[in-house]
Amino acid sequence: MRISKIRYYYPLGLFVALFLDGTLSNMFAGAFFKASLSIESRLFILWVVMSVFFAKVEHPFFWAVTVGLTFDLFFTGIIGPFFMLVPLILYLTKVMYSFFTPSFIVVLLIYLIDIALFTLLFYWINVLIGFTSVSLAIFISSTLGPTLAFNLAAFVILYLPIKGLMEMSSR
Amino acid sequence: MQRFFFNKRLIIVLITLIIGFVLVAFSVTVRNDRSTPPIIQQIGNDTAGLVDRVVSYPISAVGNAGSAVGSLLNTYQENQKLKKQVDNLASEKVSNQTIRRENAALKKQLKLNKSLTNYTAVTSYVIARTPSSWQNQIIISKGSLAGVKKNASVLSDKGLVGRVTEVNKTNSKVELISTTNDNANRFATTIITDDGSVNGLITNYNANTNRLIMGQIDSQKTMKKGDKVITSGMGGNSPQGIYVGTVMKVEKDDYGLATKVEIKPAADLTNLNIVTVAERTD
Repeated sequence: MRISKIRYYYPLGLFVALFLDGTLSNMFAGAFFKASLSIESRLFILWVVMSVFFAKVEHPFFWAVTVGLTFDLFFTGIIGPFFMLVPLILYLTKVMYSFFTPSFIVVLLIYLIDIALFTLLFYWINVLIGFTSVSLAIFISSTLGPTLAFNLAAFVILYLPIKGLMEMSSR
Repeated sequence: MQRFFFNKRLIIVLITLIIGFVLVAFSVTVRNDRSTPPIIQQIGNDTAGLVDRVVSYPISAVGNAGSAVGSLLNTYQENQKLKKQVDNLASEKVSNQTIRRENAALKKQLKLNKSLTNYTAVTSYVIARTPSSWQNQIIISKGSLAGVKKNASVLSDKGLVGRVTEVNKTNSKVELISTTNDNANRFATTIITDDGSVNGLITNYNANTNRLIMGQIDSQKTMKKGDKVITSGMGGNSPQGIYVGTVMKVEKDDYGLATKVEIKPAADLTNLNIVTVAERTD
């Protein structure tokens, strides 16, 4: 039996997307973290969500936990939030997938729900541990809105390339 | 009831939640300890740092090329302006040198080998910024192997940017002064006014106006807009005399009792490529 290439491409793409988030945030910090607007780039969530629809990944939850832990260790130093949230998002996406047949609009809507929930829960955890004291209203206007807009744009641009890559290498 | 407790999925979710929150609580608690992170975490972070460097290299290269073109476009005006400054600079440099020599001689006479202004500088570049609104954090490319220590101050070419919160072997995390984290260590600062210096702490940051808030002011001396703010070297973490910013507004706090000073930070916290870690040597 031939081993499909996605076995190697999936973790590779996952980690490249993860580190791209950090690099982009630093490169465009002037545009991403302004006074009344901050954007959280979540390209690796895009990769995880797309893989549910278009790739046959072995041990997806193992990779979700690994990538979540890497984010926590390397980027924030607070271990826990992403370790819980990434598998949760993966699970939710799998549940939602069972009700729909994937098309551009369906994947887009599911991805938006995922990002919104993810950003909200991450905000909530940070309020709990005292890293921010921003009110919910300001959070929605200054972080959630721009974050959704940015990730939506990233989705629209990257949908076809990622879909093509995943379907090709899953064969 | 029995069915409920033996539901495998529910148990997995509960255990994950418990482990997750214990980890969060643990890492927030030990964050300011000198011994963290443990060696296993360091190895993980160093590996991640290596991979990150490989990923970010081509993108930074493209970005740098872009900004090079950008700066080429306004080279002419910049050149005109800088020419005027150059003459000034030379004389200032000479007088600086004289004063520095005199200072060293005087210190020797007093048998004062080390003072609060002494520090060793480690220059490093910024690998990444935490993609999160709540952690104002950057990851820099030098770690304990290069002599970076926890709680050391970090400066850009313009002024103070933050402090080191986590040191691995080959990379470190820097919490920017724009943090609103309740647990962050505070910078002790001094305002240089016309009639002496005023001490205090950087207590908060206003993201909407990009102003640092200085509180815990210890005197009633008059401060005015434009006064320079430097680190005071008190508290044992930062060296003395690092430029923080200029005073923009002096007012009473919300209760009308203590004085609150708004400071415009000198460093641009959204444009960091090269930073210097200043480790006190006293």
